[in-house]
Amino acid sequence: MREFKYEDLSLGQSEEFSVVLTKEMMDLFLRISGDTNPLHVDAVYAKSKGFKDQVAYGMLVASFYSQLVGVYLPGRFCLLHGIETSFHKPAFITDTLHVSGEITYLNAAYRQIEIKASIRNQSEDIISKAKIKAGTLE
Amino acid sequence: MTQETIAQIMQDIFRDIFDQPSLVITRETSAKDIEDWDSLSHVNIVVAAEKAFKVTFALGELKSLNNVGDMYDLIQKKLSHA
Repeated sequence: MREFKYEDLSLGQSEEFSVVLTKEMMDLFLRISGDTNPLHVDAVYAKSKGFKDQVAYGMLVASFYSQLVGVYLPGRFCLLHGIETSFHKPAFITDTLHVSGEITYLNAAYRQIEIKASIRNQSEDIISKAKIKAGTLE
Repeated sequence: MTQETIAQIMQDIFRDIFDQPSLVITRETSAKDIEDWDSLSHVNIVVAAEKAFKVTFALGELKSLNNVGDMYDLIQKKLSHA
């Protein structure tokens, strides 16, 4: 886990990590969210709507932004203030997601940073974009 | 930049942050006048103002503000010394 304090951060600073979407993640997110929409739980239905398989939950994909700020940038001293996120392409089980973020603004008075983040799949397709605001506790 | 221009830009910022297109801000407006003006909204206002006027605020300067008018004055002071 990174332990960047506000003084350690600078414009353009970036972090990234990769994660593989698994069936277990989908099952856990189903239990947590209660989202039983067939697009996410029924492969036959998803295929009938033109997708290659059941579609990963957008909010499951976006949950990796939590790891991005809470573990990597700034890491340990993060206090998440807000996320604006959008979804551009579907993600599927077994996809490798590359999660990255770059600091685009720093507010010294309140030790808040803004991060431009994105999630790409193994084909470099943009799955999601986000603008994140996070405070630093130290 | 005139106080009138600063006020107009700040009013647009407030309307955007509080998602109230008809919100009217005066020099006397303060946090107690807007129900949704919490600490996070306050940070958002400050950051939006920094970006709009290309200035930065020190925490000490912000703590001395009592209302929106004080912020207009601080912005104008910073712009005049830019």
